[in-house]
Amino acid sequence: MRDNTTPALRLAADIGGTFTDIAAFDETTGRLMLGKALSTPDRLVDGISAGVAKAGTRYRDAGLFLHGSTIAINTILERTGAHTALVITEGFRDIYEIGRINRPDAYNLYFKRHVPLIERALRLEVPERLYAEGTVRRTLDEAALRRIAADLARRGIEAVAVLFLNAYANPVHEVCAKAILEKCLPGVFIAASHELSQEYREYERCSTVAANAYIGPRVQGYLDGIEDHLDTEGFAGTFLVVQSTGGLFEAERARTQCIRMLESGPAAGVIGTRALCRAIGLDDAIAFDMGGTTAKAGVIYGSEALTTGSAMLGGYATGLPVQIAMMDIFEVGTGGGSIARIAEAGTLRVGPESAGAEPGPACYARGGVEPTVTDANLHLGRLGADRFLGGEMRLDPEAALRALRTRIATPLGMDVTAAADGILRIATTAMSYAVKGVTTERGLDAASFALVAYGGAGPLHASAVAGELGIETVIVPRAPGHFSAFGMLFSDLRYDFVRTWFAALDRAPFDEMEARYAGMEAEGAKAVHSARLGTGAVAVARAADMRYVGQEHAVTVELPAELIRAGDRAAIKARFDAVHERRYGTSAPEEAAEIVSLRTTVSGTLAKPPLERIEAGGAAPPSRAGAGTRSAYFAEAGGFVATPVFARAGLLAGNRIEGPALVEEYASTTVVQPGDRVTVDAFGNLVIACRGRRR
Amino acid sequence: MSGRDEDHGVDPVTTEIVRNGVIAVTEEMKTNLMRTAYNMIIYEALDFTVGLFTAKGETVSIGLGLPTFIRGMGETVRQKLAKFGTDGIAPGDILVTNDAYITGSHLNHITMTLPIFDGEVLVGFACCMAHWPDVGGTLGGMTTDIYSEGLQIPILKAYRAGVPNQDLIDIIRNNVRLPDRAMGDWRAQLTAIKTGERRFLELVRRYGRQSVLGGISRIMDLSEAAARARTRTIPDGVYEAESFMDDDGVDVGKPIPIRVKVTVEDDTMTIDLTEVSRQVRGFYNSGLTTGFSCTQVAYKCMTSPTDYPINDGSFRSLTSIVPKGRIVSAVKPAPMRWWMTFPMTIIDTVFKALAPAIPDRVAAGHHADLIIGNINGILPKERRFYLGIMGPQGGGWGAKLTEDGLSATVCLNDGDTHNGPVEQVEAKYPIIIERHALIQDSGGAGRHRGGLGIEKIVESRAPMNFGTQVDRVHCPPWGLAGGLAGFGNKVRLRRAGKEPEDFSNAKVLAAVLREGDATILCSGGGGGFGPPHERPAAHVAEDVRQGYVSIEAAARDYGVIVDPETFAVDEAATAARRAVLAAAPQRSAGA
Repeated sequence: MRDNTTPALRLAADIGGTFTDIAAFDETTGRLMLGKALSTPDRLVDGISAGVAKAGTRYRDAGLFLHGSTIAINTILERTGAHTALVITEGFRDIYEIGRINRPDAYNLYFKRHVPLIERALRLEVPERLYAEGTVRRTLDEAALRRIAADLARRGIEAVAVLFLNAYANPVHEVCAKAILEKCLPGVFIAASHELSQEYREYERCSTVAANAYIGPRVQGYLDGIEDHLDTEGFAGTFLVVQSTGGLFEAERARTQCIRMLESGPAAGVIGTRALCRAIGLDDAIAFDMGGTTAKAGVIYGSEALTTGSAMLGGYATGLPVQIAMMDIFEVGTGGGSIARIAEAGTLRVGPESAGAEPGPACYARGGVEPTVTDANLHLGRLGADRFLGGEMRLDPEAALRALRTRIATPLGMDVTAAADGILRIATTAMSYAVKGVTTERGLDAASFALVAYGGAGPLHASAVAGELGIETVIVPRAPGHFSAFGMLFSDLRYDFVRTWFAALDRAPFDEMEARYAGMEAEGAKAVHSARLGTGAVAVARAADMRYVGQEHAVTVELPAELIRAGDRAAIKARFDAVHERRYGTSAPEEAAEIVSLRTTVSGTLAKPPLERIEAGGAAPPSRAGAGTRSAYFAEAGGFVATPVFARAGLLAGNRIEGPALVEEYASTTVVQPGDRVTVDAFGNLVIACRGRRR
Repeated sequence: MSGRDEDHGVDPVTTEIVRNGVIAVTEEMKTNLMRTAYNMIIYEALDFTVGLFTAKGETVSIGLGLPTFIRGMGETVRQKLAKFGTDGIAPGDILVTNDAYITGSHLNHITMTLPIFDGEVLVGFACCMAHWPDVGGTLGGMTTDIYSEGLQIPILKAYRAGVPNQDLIDIIRNNVRLPDRAMGDWRAQLTAIKTGERRFLELVRRYGRQSVLGGISRIMDLSEAAARARTRTIPDGVYEAESFMDDDGVDVGKPIPIRVKVTVEDDTMTIDLTEVSRQVRGFYNSGLTTGFSCTQVAYKCMTSPTDYPINDGSFRSLTSIVPKGRIVSAVKPAPMRWWMTFPMTIIDTVFKALAPAIPDRVAAGHHADLIIGNINGILPKERRFYLGIMGPQGGGWGAKLTEDGLSATVCLNDGDTHNGPVEQVEAKYPIIIERHALIQDSGGAGRHRGGLGIEKIVESRAPMNFGTQVDRVHCPPWGLAGGLAGFGNKVRLRRAGKEPEDFSNAKVLAAVLREGDATILCSGGGGGFGPPHERPAAHVAEDVRQGYVSIEAAARDYGVIVDPETFAVDEAATAARRAVLAAAPQRSAGA
């Protein structure tokens, strides 16, 4: 329980592949402190400690430690999880391997499909079966299950996933099986599908629970390591973990529902965007995050971050599905390290192959010979050779030039500058599809959104991407390279629930529906209270997946509790029609609708730090912000022009900058295009008004 | 910038931007169709195809959908253009047809086309084919002419200058069993083609008409150059192969021969289907468009499998010889309802023909059938008529020179097609699925093993009608280069609590199932590649440990003796058995 003696520091740590970012907020002084350190894969806590020290903070002063990590996703992608078994309904052990049978790469005889995390020999069947209504057709054979458990114990299994058919409708057999397995296999990580998802679709639910079990022991060990470290360092507060929704949950819960922390870093960036929007009074914004290998886009719509109920881990064609609530993020394989290549018959391609951190772009001079987006930026003067990472790492313009010339310009008969500009134009359009993926494909008009750009490479390209989409405002927050850690400071406790429940809307029994929602919400409220953070209000957001009778695919419709309690079928139908119309440009108000699944999100609101304001100045940036000029290329300006460079740390609120210009900071550079105008707002954000570039 | 002759005034950067642009347009058309469709065949089975076409009807980009419909939309667009002429098409028009002899497929394929105008100028077409679950006609059973298969819509204007053709809509509503569903799919298709129009015009406005149209011409030229370059690497020569289908469901037990002849000369290929069977009495025929699709699909798989967008430039170096009146060039009134089965085997047979020349670019035979069970009846609770489809089921794919074949994957006719989840179909229809599992030993043995087929047992919880049209029981998926064949497809019914009865040709035209009766559909495995005794013994032992291969088959086909407890290889016994296998004449089929 927090009280007046609780330290008032809130620490957030985001561990990425290259860097560990720390953001800390002191509730007494209102100060935000940041630290960046190299990640230390062998002992990740060392990187955290280094970042905490760099931020000038101490664990023992903190009341909350918030943490996002790539441990879960990396364990899956690198296949370094536990020795795991699957216990499944008799007759169905192969559904995990059969999957959905599709071949997206339709003319490629060498196509690949997903590879299950659990080999066939460890997928074991037990007699039991439920009907779709949830009634029992065949009782769980407990004796057979005990024999399986004994066998698994002999084989030294570390984790077991349980998936029974139709458990979404009634988890009775899964509950019973889990209890038996826990008793027979002490110390083994056991997960049952209904604990993570009570939504229909057995393969997706199976993949979800299998992944959870597979990563479970490793994630537990990881969390133990951090807890031990926190204890040693004198931290006495509460340890919370960021989920893929951007919401927080207790480390204790993360130990069993590990799969919920898959995409915590990217999700926290969207939460940071939401906080920024709320502070400056923006309702709608696109969160645009570009790093070394990918560009990601999420959406704030009506002041809320848009989430989705499922995702594919590792790509559409060969990925593994997970069926849990996640931030709705669209990703394209375009980042600073994306390689430009000439494909068969002379076409120019950018990405998805990436030079990564090793060898990295040609200009890193670490052995990379292929030109990348970063090399193009350096050649065009967008990046300064001696300013990268605050000048800690010198870039080699000759190497970039050589790669661009020999690999692209000469073979295509172009000059090097046109080739570099072309690479950036192709990258820009590719990234604009990530933004369209979360806006136009959701029925939203991208042009009416502001673009909030972060990640190391986001501010370099944001104005160009905005121009591609007709977006008029780009916002580059302070410390865009620490934005995920920053976002964690603004999150709330969050618990998501879903129950598949088929009902025709015109006959739906609302009392039963209300009872189902209430059941989920009671579970959520209990979780909020058990976190004992003295949170403010417990907020509940209900929704239902709905479709027209006969349709297969459902859309998620927000449903205020009053509509359900009032049994207002017409209003619910009208909401569904409107969502369908917005999303697909068509609706059928005269046709009957049905409910597929009920969703509810329970949040325990945490107090939010106010955004720190910066010192105010006049329209002209102070001289200490001036960092000279650099020759940079802008096609609209007719070629290379002497471009003013500013040091972001020196800018004051109210300063204005006309494009073309470059604003540099430790881990990022903001490109201000000709015609753009930057205003530094009261919080230190760069607000870029993009000239009237029409689509 | 580049001064090439063929650059159509467009530089490589713009070309790449246009290339990404047209792919994005057809992907979004596809997404919108899938998500608004009313029927599982569109949403889960992805039995549709969307595309962008030039003003002349050439294919610019296709969003799959159905790989073997690669030609169907382009042909339909061109015939629509021929009927009305450029002058007879105005903004706001939408053209429709389901003429089976134009699309080359069945009447379920409603094809809608929207001419895209940039101001007054026709700049292309957006087109969408989608499979409707019902277009009238005989319910279940066999058909022997097109008239019994449902409503035939000639090329008509569904919209004239933005005004819907209500007469046509009324006729459709009066002729199909589920008119509301049909109109739901109709709307979904409108959404798809309007999306295509809107997004294509955005590209035109953003980059300029000349750049976009020039970029498209250049993309097609580049695809042509890539296909020619890949063809040139195939040794010149004449390559032939044959196979057969079991029967046409009417003349039961009478095999239907398939012979293909492929001639490669420099950078061109000619695929000759003159020697495939004449059209048949049962409903397995398809139209000339599909004959061309067969050759195009085979050619693309061998020369430009991952070249996107899918466009007509890739086929300029291909000549197709398909005389009229064959099973894939049938003429009216040939029945076409189950058009999709035979073409897959024709395409596989082309791969078989070229295997000696380009073993690294082909695969052994696959199960080559959708493996679909159709059910219909009255829902017990709702007292409502339903039409249900179980499948496609997926099955084994052939092994390749360097890789095992994949198990449990949808057949060549379909691409990004999904099966229906067990929990979904059980919630929807009065059935319960007893088993959904891989079939041990169904993958053909070889140095690389064929993929495994699937067994699915579906029990009825209420009386219902059932039908299935499976083929390739007697011509199982063949191996290549000494690999053995996989299991063929198989259909059985378990009725009145008795032992399951086997249907020798896997076709059940119309059966009544009572509560507790079950259908047992088994898809075949893929053929193997290379002699089985050359497969590393450790790989065979691993297959045994995982249960993909039985201990008996390991000994019999691979010559590997595996300990049933430890899965260790008995090296001495294995060497002896393998010596026998190596000395024996090659077998052409599984033991």
